[in-house]
Amino acid sequence: MTEQHISWAEPYKIKMVEPLFMTTREQRVKAMEEAGYNTFLLKSEEVYIDLLTDSGTSAMSDRQWAGMMLGDEAYAGSRNFYNLEAAIQKYYGYKHVIPTHQGRGAENLISRILIKPGDIVPGNMYFTTTKLHQEMAGGTFVDIIVDEAHDANSMFPFKGNVDLKKLEAVIKEHGAKKIPYVSIATTVNMAGGQPMSLANLKAVRELTAKYGIRIIHDMTRVAENAYMIKLLEEGQSERSTADIVKELCSLTDGATMSAKKDALVNIGGFLALNEWDVFEEARNQVVIFEGLHTYGGLAGRDMEAMAIGISESVDEDHIRARVGQVFYLGKKLMDAGIPMVKPIGTHGVFLDAKAFLPHVPQLAFPAQTLAAELYLDAGVRTMERGIVSAGRDKETGDHCYPDLELVRLTVPRRVYTQAHMDVIAESVERVYKRRNEIKGLRMTYEPKYLRFFQAKFEKL
Amino acid sequence: MRHRTIIEPFRIKSVEPIGLSTEVERVELLKDAHYNPFLLRSKDVIIDLMTDSGTSAMSAHQWAGIMEGDEAYAGSRSWLRMENEVQDLTGMQHVLPTHQGRAAERIIYGHLGGPGKIFISNTHFDTTRANIEFSGATAIDIPIPEGQDTALQHPFKGNMDVGELDRLLKEHKGHVGAVILTVTNNSGGGQPVSMANAEGVAAICKRHGVILMLDCCRIAENSWFVKHREEGMEGLTYREIAQRMFALADGAVMSAKKDAFANIGGFLSFRNEALAEACTNLLIITEGFTTYGGLAGRDMEAIAIGLEEVFDPHYLNYRIRSTTFLGEQLHKLGVPLMLPIGGHAVYIDAKKLYPHIPPAQYPGQALVSELFRLGGIRSVEIGSVMFGTYAEDGSLKPSRMELVRLAIPRRVYTQSHIEYVAETFEGIMAEREQVKGMRIVKEPKFLRHFTAHFDTLP
Repeated sequence: MTEQHISWAEPYKIKMVEPLFMTTREQRVKAMEEAGYNTFLLKSEEVYIDLLTDSGTSAMSDRQWAGMMLGDEAYAGSRNFYNLEAAIQKYYGYKHVIPTHQGRGAENLISRILIKPGDIVPGNMYFTTTKLHQEMAGGTFVDIIVDEAHDANSMFPFKGNVDLKKLEAVIKEHGAKKIPYVSIATTVNMAGGQPMSLANLKAVRELTAKYGIRIIHDMTRVAENAYMIKLLEEGQSERSTADIVKELCSLTDGATMSAKKDALVNIGGFLALNEWDVFEEARNQVVIFEGLHTYGGLAGRDMEAMAIGISESVDEDHIRARVGQVFYLGKKLMDAGIPMVKPIGTHGVFLDAKAFLPHVPQLAFPAQTLAAELYLDAGVRTMERGIVSAGRDKETGDHCYPDLELVRLTVPRRVYTQAHMDVIAESVERVYKRRNEIKGLRMTYEPKYLRFFQAKFEKL
Repeated sequence: MRHRTIIEPFRIKSVEPIGLSTEVERVELLKDAHYNPFLLRSKDVIIDLMTDSGTSAMSAHQWAGIMEGDEAYAGSRSWLRMENEVQDLTGMQHVLPTHQGRAAERIIYGHLGGPGKIFISNTHFDTTRANIEFSGATAIDIPIPEGQDTALQHPFKGNMDVGELDRLLKEHKGHVGAVILTVTNNSGGGQPVSMANAEGVAAICKRHGVILMLDCCRIAENSWFVKHREEGMEGLTYREIAQRMFALADGAVMSAKKDAFANIGGFLSFRNEALAEACTNLLIITEGFTTYGGLAGRDMEAIAIGLEEVFDPHYLNYRIRSTTFLGEQLHKLGVPLMLPIGGHAVYIDAKKLYPHIPPAQYPGQALVSELFRLGGIRSVEIGSVMFGTYAEDGSLKPSRMELVRLAIPRRVYTQSHIEYVAETFEGIMAEREQVKGMRIVKEPKFLRHFTAHFDTLP
């Protein structure tokens, strides 16, 4: 199929469905008011098409559901754990595995074990929970992503790349001893789902090897990143995605994984390590935070679903259809002249709210406003990734003012159809047409941490 | 007619094969697992009585709920269903889902704990103690003295010593993180706590202005004992008894892997909004957003259904009666037990079974090994391996009791499985004098029983 067709048509058919809730505009206006113009606070049944996140929202395959029935719920030594361990060794190549209830469980462990107070953790752009765990362990995150990542209009194909000069400068300034590891994400979510190139990761490996610094890989969307390398990087087009995935992993020393993305499960994650000592320490600590090291806070069935999901995630037809569907939506919006982050990301389309609503100042929360408007128009739920998500500066107490004000339209894997994509595109276009009538928001309730989850707003 | 036999109020809908092994194979398997049952592979175990946590058979209704799970990141209807169920049961408005009980403990005891703080319980369970000590606080156990004597018959051996509680709260005024009442009292032999005791504890906590947390993971089983053993309680339903006990507490922590029949999941609930809010931040960072807390939607669905099912009187009768059945079989063989038999497990007094093995040679761990060698039965030591500490001179400060727990997974094993276990004990009794003690070869700093390596002594 891959050779003959241009279409990204799904390499699967539908086996089980879940009804959607249709709402009237009147109902949506009421729901949005009650949710304080924060899409996180909407009830799932008030939502028609849910693009809030691609995390944990995938449709599992019939094989995964069959695996769910094979769950071995023994507290210790569950068969499913050994299947999971084997899948991770086979597809990712890491030696030692500790399951965790989800990605942040793995982040918690690795940050506690490797970071000492005063340490510096360079990374290719921050991610909310990753950065928080680093800070809680006493570390400071330093951004070393290429400048293009902060420019929504740059067509640079690998906006997830590390700026090697920035990295070397950080190492020289603080010294290698202060840097427990470099945190590398494939793909970079906050940059708009942008991949990094294989050549760039190789160069990062060389540089870190020179200074004896580890690379810890945030590999939640590594298959999507590998597929982009296959599509865009010179000399990589003949390789399989699975092969590239394994090479990317081989350039790093360990990984945290939220299996709720690439690996097509509703819950689960893991910490993978090549160093025995770090693994042993993690194994001793996981039992305090997550669960015994052969279940890590997961039901046996979820480890089985993860093992199967990992093998499906690197299947060529699957990954082509996955990214193909996101590109389909992205291209529709781009053709309609909607301002957005370019190139299109692999797990979603990121609208440029600053350009979309140029008359709404950053302090009137343009991305939050746009997310609310999209819901009101057709019941599509999206997520703000702008000043609300960026939070406040620890020192000054003022807002952090990010360059990008984005609204993320994340596409769950294998869930929605082309017709759903069409509805989304139509709705965005409709909102764009009447953009001049849209006014900003005022924050009425602000939680102290991770405010984007629970803040409330009202219309100006 | 009235039947003597209490049958299971269900039939079997889905089965899971058991792998059988020989004694010769198991001797090797034990060696490979460093005599630690936590390091055995599940496929090598015949009857797995390691824990009743997360090992239940779910009902067809729960499996249907699994299929209906709403996996939305925010505002999932499965969450709303679970929240509603927990609010109704506990009478507490603020509910935080967590991936399992220890996460709930880490969040609340991390918040209330810290260096210099004291926590007081009828008996802290292993993960509870670990979470408290990890925060730098101290955990103090004050079970009633009767709870320490395994052979003594007492209806509520899980009770807390209220006189001692009052004294400790005076002594440590201003430094008490919380009082934790665990129902039933797991480490103390799965023994119940009476309503009168809970009321006494609550009154003292109130007088001292101290937070009372209910660790309620087996509250339905506890309610069975209260209804049948405590005067004035017989007219209430099991659920009403549970609700009355919840009403005494400021908050509750639950591992839903026990009485809610779920394979994964837990929650925190509070009456006080400020306390709930203080926990929310850590919940989001370490577990997941407030409407899923690190659980799949389907698991929240299963928990909601399980919390309703567990209060079915026919189920609770069967549950308590079938645990007692195993106890009675062992008692007939002369196996020294914790009496009366608890709700979820039978506890064997290893100190009495192997009087020739001193606590520093871990008689409980020796019995655990013997049970696996002779019958492929996996059990767990609740004694000096789990709770022992070292004195400054490096000698072992043993636990109060050397118990081995045979925890019965809910709705999983049949009467013939239980008879097989009893039969294995015939061998245990026949060979009891030849059994040797054990030593620890390697251990981590916290919760050593999970990963420690052992060896047999010559």
